[in-house]
Amino acid sequence: MNDSIQTILAREVLQLRAWQHQVNESLKAKALGLAVHMAFGHEAIAVAVSHMLEDSDRLVLSHRNIAYNLARAGDLRPLYDEYKGLPSGLGGGRMGTMNLANPARGVAYTSSILGNNFCVACGLALGFKLKHQAGLVTVLTGDGAMEEGTFYESLDIAQSKGLRVLFIVENNQCAMSSTIPERRCAIKIDRLCQAFGVSYDLLTGNLVFDYAARLQELRRRIMETSVPVCIEVDLLNLYRHAGATPGFPGDPMIIDLKNGLVVREDKYDPVYVLKQHLPADEYAALEQPLLAQARAWSA
Amino acid sequence: MPNYITAVNQMIRSAVLKVPGICMYGQNINNGTFISGLTKNLAAPADGVILNVSNSENTLCGMGFGMMLSGVSAIYFVKQLDFMLLGLDHFVNTYNFIRCYYDLNKLGRFSIIMLVCDQGRQGPQSSCNSYGDFCSIARIPCYTVTNDQDTPRILESQLTAPGFRMMALSSRLCRTEFLQLQTVLAAPDCSVFQYTEGRDVTIACFNFALPEGYRLVRELAAAGLQASLFSVNYVPNIDWAPVVRNAGVTRRLVVIDDSKSVHLAGHGLVEAAVRAVPGCRHHVVARGANVDFGMCQDNLPIDFAALVSRVQQWC
Repeated sequence: MNDSIQTILAREVLQLRAWQHQVNESLKAKALGLAVHMAFGHEAIAVAVSHMLEDSDRLVLSHRNIAYNLARAGDLRPLYDEYKGLPSGLGGGRMGTMNLANPARGVAYTSSILGNNFCVACGLALGFKLKHQAGLVTVLTGDGAMEEGTFYESLDIAQSKGLRVLFIVENNQCAMSSTIPERRCAIKIDRLCQAFGVSYDLLTGNLVFDYAARLQELRRRIMETSVPVCIEVDLLNLYRHAGATPGFPGDPMIIDLKNGLVVREDKYDPVYVLKQHLPADEYAALEQPLLAQARAWSA
Repeated sequence: MPNYITAVNQMIRSAVLKVPGICMYGQNINNGTFISGLTKNLAAPADGVILNVSNSENTLCGMGFGMMLSGVSAIYFVKQLDFMLLGLDHFVNTYNFIRCYYDLNKLGRFSIIMLVCDQGRQGPQSSCNSYGDFCSIARIPCYTVTNDQDTPRILESQLTAPGFRMMALSSRLCRTEFLQLQTVLAAPDCSVFQYTEGRDVTIACFNFALPEGYRLVRELAAAGLQASLFSVNYVPNIDWAPVVRNAGVTRRLVVIDDSKSVHLAGHGLVEAAVRAVPGCRHHVVARGANVDFGMCQDNLPIDFAALVSRVQQWC
């Protein structure tokens, strides 16, 4: 991966984080009337997916779509206006946060119903196949939504019908307010995929450059073989998964733009991972203008 | 005249050949009993395809909407209405997303064609017979096909109409002779069909009650009374006007609905008729609240003699 692409990817991860901070500050100020499922910690995979997509591809999202929609839109304003219910919003002010799509930028469907999006993705991919159209359909889910039976059914159908589908399971170990051990047994996604003959891959470390390169390879493979792939992404949602916004009075979790873009200093924060990876001056050159812009917005 | 299932099958086979590129899918669609004869000898049109699929009803419903988004038209053939309870999320939520975001004219068309298990003795879990409830909760159009007049019109117009709809056949009628009727009126949206014109009473049939309504017409005729016979499908914001206008002439309305649901679409018609035609005599023939959901005959019990007598008294 050449330096210019790396710089682009790094900037986009930082921009995504900055925009999420801006939204979060608005939530804390009660400036938005809607709940937003924030995606701090999801930036690396979101940027990598966005870069992987070609014009013929489609993206199918879930209720936690902010990172992907920001990456695809390349701009906070359309989403923010949507959150405010304005006609200038991405969905004309009518879609809210959980059903927000962007067909013009390949986000074909977004579902707030857990698991509802898997089979829609399969239908999209089947349609492309029947029309002999090149195009990958990427569908996002989490460790909670993959508990829905339709995940199992969709793996079956995608494999049985040779569909070009990329399933991405963002495993943040949490659904609503329950961790995996609190609500169910462990599910070995790799073995589940093996049972269906679906290829499996694991992304870990949250370095956007690694994710972007791997996704490009996987896209090539899917397009050549028409064998669906399921990727498990090891990440954490650096936020209260469900409930009040961090920083609200009485909430012990603090996410504040005053503290900079980094939220957590470990491998689960893609921004921190970048900070550790890049030369200090290069990171600072990327971060400073974005941080200044975000603080000016939120002031 | 062939029996009901054979006749409808022939019409489906003919209608789908006019929809190039269509994807037809269902469990055992092209083997075994061919979904009780529903899909027998089904052939795909140019660039079309027939797919045998797994037992994954929720997913298969969602898949149809996904194909819509890709621009491919599809028909999902289903063994029984009860299975569509598993797909209800998609009818309510997925389709609502699609019609909020997209111009339906630019998408593929999606239809579900299914059998309703109303032939009785299928057990408590093969008991759902009112697809009107699906229409109501999801605000989608749902059509019964019951005779040689409504079936071709519904198939020809709806398989290529923008959006999504459901069409249902009655298992109870499968081996009966296919009703041959005349059309007095056919609403452009296939919501209402009128088959006879009479001055004495208006009969409106819902769900799969048309054969009973037709029998009532004949029994009334034997008693010297002339009836107007309608069948009504489930279309959101239905225009009751054709039926209500007729009730305005006869001033007598009989609604027959063999649905097992508590809330009946026919009640809406009665309300509209009574409002528009003050003093309109009306009677609803339905199952009542204590429906036996077990091992039972599914026919709607009707005392035709008493019904004829009631209409005679009105007159």
